[in-house]
Amino acid sequence: MPEHVDLFAALGDPTRREVLNILAARGEASATAIATQLPVSRPAVVKHLGVLDRAGLLEERRQGREVLFSVRPEPLESASRWLAVVASEWDRRLTALKRLAEND
Amino acid sequence: MQIPDQIEREVVVDAPIERVWSLITEAEYFGAWFADSGAEIDLRPGGAMTLRWEEHGTVRARVERVEPPRRFSYRWANAVDVEPSEGHSTLVEFTLSTEDAGTRVRVVESGFASLDSSDEDRRRQIDDNTEGWAIQLRNLGEQAGRTVA
Repeated sequence: MPEHVDLFAALGDPTRREVLNILAARGEASATAIATQLPVSRPAVVKHLGVLDRAGLLEERRQGREVLFSVRPEPLESASRWLAVVASEWDRRLTALKRLAEND
Repeated sequence: MQIPDQIEREVVVDAPIERVWSLITEAEYFGAWFADSGAEIDLRPGGAMTLRWEEHGTVRARVERVEPPRRFSYRWANAVDVEPSEGHSTLVEFTLSTEDAGTRVRVVESGFASLDSSDEDRRRQIDDNTEGWAIQLRNLGEQAGRTVA
């Protein structure tokens, strides 16, 4: 059975979000290059990259002895869409609250 | 890069903060604007809440913080008829502040990161939510139409 890594669980960790931000800013980067920009060790970065990869958030390609990672944005877009629905639910509720508070 | 993690929404209400606090924390009102078929709120940290929707059923929640008239938070289950436990709930935090003669209401919903439902569950939830939202919009439109007429 393949290990299931939930997208939101992958995004829930601040270091992993930093890793994604670094990759987004640089286009692509190796684990070593990412580690130089973070206060964590290279093995820790490799572990975080593994979680991000299993959540479908990374592309990787080999260049010589290095593996270069980049962001695969599709899962983020679907997560954003989902949260946009949650947010519009709140807009509706807050509008109902406002109406109730002001009409009396 | 925008990484989806939590949602934040705000509204400014033309009513005193004490009144808005009542509407958010008293079951009679909460069950009307948040749910549509009533609610129960045991208003103390750890207290149980139930929220009822005519179409969807009953959702359980647990009160976290009660600091009148500024802070109220609860953790609610992400599905009907389940306990609002770790991995199956999100945290909703209301923060009220006085603004001119009215009240600013800020809501933050977080904890999506620790939901452990499968992608398939989540997709189903998206579909449910989208459908529910479309129905609400339609109702709203009909009401608005009646008001104009």
